Amino acid sequence: MSLTDRIAKGLEAGWKVTDASTLTDNQTHEADVVIIGTGAGGGTTAEILARAGLSVILVEEGRLYYQKDFKMDELTAYASLYQEGMSRVTKDGAIAILQGRCVGGSTTVNWTSSFRTPEPTLSYWADNFGLENLRPEAMKPWFDGREERHTVSPWLTDPNVNNDILRQGCDKLGYSWNVIPRNVKGCWNLGYCGVGCPTNAKQGALTTTIPGALDNEARLFHGLRADKLVMKQDRIDHLVASAMSADTVTPSGVKVHLKARHFVVAASAIGSPGLLLRSDIPDPHHRIGKRSFIHPVNATVARMPEKVDPFYGAPQSIYSDEFNFREGVDGPAGYKLEVPPLHPAMSSGVVPGHGEEQRDNLKQLPWMQSVIALLRDGFHPDSPGGTVSLRDDGSPVLDYPVTDYLWDGLRRAFHTMAEIQFAAGAEQVRLMHLDSPWFNSWSEARAAIDELPMELHRVRLFTAHQMGGCGMGENPQQSVVNGFGEHHHVSNLSIHDASIFPTSIGANPQLSVYALAARNSTRLAGKLKG
Amino acid sequence: MSHLPHDQESPSTIDRRSFLRAGLGGTLFLGTVSVTAGLSGCATAPAGRLDAADTPVDEGYRFQFLTRDDIELFQALLPAIVGPALMEEPEPRRQAIAGTIERIDQGIVQFGPANQQELRKLFDLLNFGLTRVTVARVWSSWPNATTAEVDAFLERWRTSGIGLLNNGYIALTKISNVAFYGHPQHWHLSGYPGPPPWAMQALPQFNNA
Repeated sequence: MSLTDRIAKGLEAGWKVTDASTLTDNQTHEADVVIIGTGAGGGTTAEILARAGLSVILVEEGRLYYQKDFKMDELTAYASLYQEGMSRVTKDGAIAILQGRCVGGSTTVNWTSSFRTPEPTLSYWADNFGLENLRPEAMKPWFDGREERHTVSPWLTDPNVNNDILRQGCDKLGYSWNVIPRNVKGCWNLGYCGVGCPTNAKQGALTTTIPGALDNEARLFHGLRADKLVMKQDRIDHLVASAMSADTVTPSGVKVHLKARHFVVAASAIGSPGLLLRSDIPDPHHRIGKRSFIHPVNATVARMPEKVDPFYGAPQSIYSDEFNFREGVDGPAGYKLEVPPLHPAMSSGVVPGHGEEQRDNLKQLPWMQSVIALLRDGFHPDSPGGTVSLRDDGSPVLDYPVTDYLWDGLRRAFHTMAEIQFAAGAEQVRLMHLDSPWFNSWSEARAAIDELPMELHRVRLFTAHQMGGCGMGENPQQSVVNGFGEHHHVSNLSIHDASIFPTSIGANPQLSVYALAARNSTRLAGKLKG
Repeated sequence: MSHLPHDQESPSTIDRRSFLRAGLGGTLFLGTVSVTAGLSGCATAPAGRLDAADTPVDEGYRFQFLTRDDIELFQALLPAIVGPALMEEPEPRRQAIAGTIERIDQGIVQFGPANQQELRKLFDLLNFGLTRVTVARVWSSWPNATTAEVDAFLERWRTSGIGLLNNGYIALTKISNVAFYGHPQHWHLSGYPGPPPWAMQALPQFNNA
């Protein structure tokens, strides 16, 4: 158990960290490399380049929050740590998008699940996108290295009841399950990963690679929004960025110009295509923003006879891949089964309802258990993904049509989740669907799920994993970057985040981002030093 | 399917659906309402600080997004959305509603410009008399609407076959439920004891001495 706060100590020791809301004058800075985004990809890149002796500037639109700010409070955390104050949705409003907006990005607020990219996914990429160098055996050392860097290992403590019910249900039905590897060190098993780890146990970018970069002379600007990469001939010359006011949502008017030899964009699968589109980066085949994937998530809740206390304990420790690749990598949509933590604000926003019904729903929270299914999108012609485009104000928005192929997967996932919950002893089960009552038995639920309309808005859909939009591939007509994250057309631009995934992953993506960013940054460091 | 709540396909529902889908659908329609609402004298500026005499809302709080009309709207909506969970005594009930409206305002400020614009369209549609009657089918002005009328309105939007209205239902109930049930004073309603006291005692960020 370490209460050492790396951030507080580093700031005291004189790290070069600038809160852009305090800037009063326009200014220009220069470095070898400017990195946009401080999440899984940006943090990894910054540490590796800075350790290689390159000068690095990190740019983060969100603010720097750390242990002193992490008080296990939902409302404060959702307002400050998440994109659009936790109100981000797809273009038609039908899918809620959970995504971090702070130093450390989504790794500051994720539930610590750390899976390697599944082998069938890497093989599919090699076979379909020419990414031969990403075959499982080639990627293994990078996963090994990142698991060590982020202290990833299977959770050896007993799962909380919420997760144990998924295990029990799978056991009863003969479905496979396993223990989730987590990136934690000295975890107190509290259950507040989603609102900023209060104990510094979570080994996300905020407590590992960001301090590692800052220890090696990297400079960090937070509260600074990357507006536009400006080209000079065929290279990027500088980044124009806007300082945000202390309110975090309004630009203060101060502009910062950042010049560099090389630019690494790691602003997420929504932010990175957005920045490239705003910058008019050469895109002869109109690939930027296309093939965006989200692991569409649907959910069921169960009322259990015994207390679950789903707000306490490591939020995710058990998963099932029984249905993930069962029908083949490119068959009917597969899904991974996991469990979400349930705190009051999140639950009251996710469980649809109002009035007496909602009061009665939430009254049961201590006995409530939930299962989520994460659909593996992007592996089938009928799952082409969504599109990131720009709103009139230049901000990015994701349009994600839910195809019949996905609806079929969502309906099957509803079946599986309800079946598992009843098998584990649930008294009642309800779908996160506007038309779903509480079902009293598996047979009742099974019959109803076949009939319920699978329609946008009626089915409550979520995503915590945004991927694609700047896909990698060897063919420039079908991709934005090559297998090293290097832009096909602009020689001093790399992309180091989940936006380069050519499909979804089929697992929580943070370790995939860490590993690819480490691999690609190591190569980039060699090139820039050479 | 008969045992599941489902959209009642009355002729007026079908008329309304084709009306919305033909020509005036979606955002365009809502955008038109926003402009019309502004021109016809609806409150369009954030309410700022309100006089105590004017409103039951705390005069110390400065509203940054919600207008006076929005505040009246939520004063009508909240008794139907979270009302059954509220205490009966008038003063605590008044305070709980006022506090929830303030937190709704605080939350929306952090939503940023794009989603604020979407909510502005939705609130204007509900505040503007013509669309309140035709789209929400609420005949009384919000301050005069009974909780039963408001509940019926919410139920219509929830069960509607029009995704846009379902979306409106989700938006209204989600921001209200989160602002209400997420507040420490209301945690007991969901049986949530709060963060473990032993952890708060052990952690430096809770030592404010």
